Amino acid sequence: MTNTPAAAAAVKILIAGGFGVGKTTLVGSVSEVAPLRTEEYLTTASVGVDDLSGVDQKTTTTVALDFGRITVSPELVVYLFGTPGQERFWFMWNDLVNGALGGVVIADTRRLESSFASIDFFESRGIPFVVAINCFHGVNTRSDAEIRAALDLDPHVPMLVGDVRERSFGRDALLALVDHLMAMPVG
Amino acid sequence: MNALPWDDEYEYEDGDDGADSMVRPYTITRGRTAPERDDLTLITLLTSVPDPVDAYGAPVRPARLQPEHRMIIDRCRTPAAVAEVAADLDLPVTVTKILLGDLVAQGLLKARAPISVARAAGGADRGLLAAVREGLRRL
Repeated sequence: MTNTPAAAAAVKILIAGGFGVGKTTLVGSVSEVAPLRTEEYLTTASVGVDDLSGVDQKTTTTVALDFGRITVSPELVVYLFGTPGQERFWFMWNDLVNGALGGVVIADTRRLESSFASIDFFESRGIPFVVAINCFHGVNTRSDAEIRAALDLDPHVPMLVGDVRERSFGRDALLALVDHLMAMPVG
Repeated sequence: MNALPWDDEYEYEDGDDGADSMVRPYTITRGRTAPERDDLTLITLLTSVPDPVDAYGAPVRPARLQPEHRMIIDRCRTPAAVAEVAADLDLPVTVTKILLGDLVAQGLLKARAPISVARAAGGADRGLLAAVREGLRRL
């Protein structure tokens, strides 16, 4: 065992938000490899509305996610996981959400409501996060205060506005998350 | 009992997801549907052991390896996360974990657990955050 080279270790950051909001685009803009895709079978207990028997049924669903990586040093790799668009599935994917350093919730100013569920999820699980407002084509007709109010964001949650296609925006969103984590009280 | 791909209850999120594979995923695992080890996560890093030896120092002679097992050993000559191996093999994460567990059990693969960032244990280490920050700044 002593002749094995020191292996790297990994951390992960979740990239969340509503369907089509630009999660994979952000992952791709900062990842050192083109986003990879993997899928998982999730077993979900579902109580059907038309189920008269009252018996819980289990359903297996295939959920796909895209991810990328940033090799920070020979000893440290950061994986970025774009969460599947259907929140009700990834919320139950414990392996995906457990042990995450934090999250970036992307929201689109034209339909902020599609990212409500992701914000609620991170808040309820106590996972630190920042919000990245994606303005396609740089069009943003709302003020930051309006967006914060619409998202019902706690004042301490950092928020950035930009274009997820720009690597610098993805980088700044991740840096904002790390700064947010560093500013948190220890313990 | 989980629904299997050939059960009626089984449903794909998208109509064509998984339909392009000619091999039913659990055939590759000889019918096993859950990993024997629960310590493999999406970002557990795996590295092939160059010259595997058993507890007595004798070279390991791999038993019953499937083509997928050999592909994993090749892939993990440079460290790769479970998610990366699954993506490269185009297999679901659960199936990949079962195969990875076989190789770890035989001493052909070493697994490195992710860095703990549990908030209950004080959250992420400052040094770790500083290292991540430094790496991100170079992007």
